[in-house]
Amino acid sequence: MHLVSRGFAGAVALAFVAGAAHAQAGLTSSPATVSLTATKASTLTVSPASGTATLASITDNSTANVFGPVTLTTAWNLTAGTSVNLVGWFATPAQALANGADFIPSSKVEGRLGAAAFAPFNSGATGGVGVANGSLLLFSQAVGAGTFLGNRSDQLDVRLNLTGTTTVAGNYTGTLNLQAVVQ
Amino acid sequence: MPTAAHARVLLLLSSGLVTTRAAGAQVGQLGAAQVLSLVAVGPSVLGVTVISGAVQSIPSLIDGALNIFPSPVVIRTNWNVSPGQTAIVNLVAYFPVPAQALTGGGTQIPSSRVLGRMATGLPVAFTAMTQAPTAGVGTSGGSLQLFAQPISGGNKQSSRTDNLDLELDLAGFPALRAGAYSGTLTLQAVTQ
Repeated sequence: MHLVSRGFAGAVALAFVAGAAHAQAGLTSSPATVSLTATKASTLTVSPASGTATLASITDNSTANVFGPVTLTTAWNLTAGTSVNLVGWFATPAQALANGADFIPSSKVEGRLGAAAFAPFNSGATGGVGVANGSLLLFSQAVGAGTFLGNRSDQLDVRLNLTGTTTVAGNYTGTLNLQAVVQ
Repeated sequence: MPTAAHARVLLLLSSGLVTTRAAGAQVGQLGAAQVLSLVAVGPSVLGVTVISGAVQSIPSLIDGALNIFPSPVVIRTNWNVSPGQTAIVNLVAYFPVPAQALTGGGTQIPSSRVLGRMATGLPVAFTAMTQAPTAGVGTSGGSLQLFAQPISGGNKQSSRTDNLDLELDLAGFPALRAGAYSGTLTLQAVTQ
């Protein structure tokens, strides 16, 4: 009888130990989590291939005063907006180019992209970019959900329209600002 | 357990009681000693706690480059296990859906672009989260084993604290659209 009782107790003990082994093999913790967020900022850039455009010799009373072409690359990565606009503008429209005290106003400076017609820099600002009477909207490209990431490359031609104008000899220099804006 | 066996044990115990009662009736006579083995098993403990860095953010992603999350994830792993039953405590990091570790704006950044480093663990250099599960914890192609801590009598009840550094490798990855990309990295310990 005693042998039978001890055997029973031993069997009970083994059963408990086996149960513990099953509980520890592959024991897993509760999961902990780390929240990751990475933000890609909106961007809008204009990059001219060259920072300088030159006209070697001015011809009075003529439109045959075309500066060397400049390639512009406009790139955007947006989260909202309906259009990307590129604006060219002179800070002081009455003095777009200066030769000492002699000036060529922006109304006599014309620009175009590609095969478009030349137009003077005498418009108002677009989306707050530009100055009154010294600006020209070069393009307005529609954008949407599928085109919020994009770019385009254009050739900018600039000329002086000196029809009816005689200039004083000398070097005329000026700065044309190119700026994109999303609307 | 078969009902018949139960019946037999109960019958033997009843006989013992009868014998004991009979012995009590005779002064100075001892009954036979009975042995009862007692086994009590304490619950095993295995826990993972993020002490700091549970929210990681990169404010401005750069395309085509390594983008480092600025602060480490500080992780405490604690355990109380039997060294006879547990040889190793592992810590695993994984993304539930490896192809979509971070998502945003219709774009998915896979776990192969998320790299982890634990200087006090196994991936001492930045390593992509593309490993298989460890002891059943993790996802195929979306996991990274962070450490494998051997267990012995000296550290059967212990803890360790480690720093996990994270980065996004966007080298050669298509330019991301502007916006926020988010995801959840899971940390889980498992014994072997």
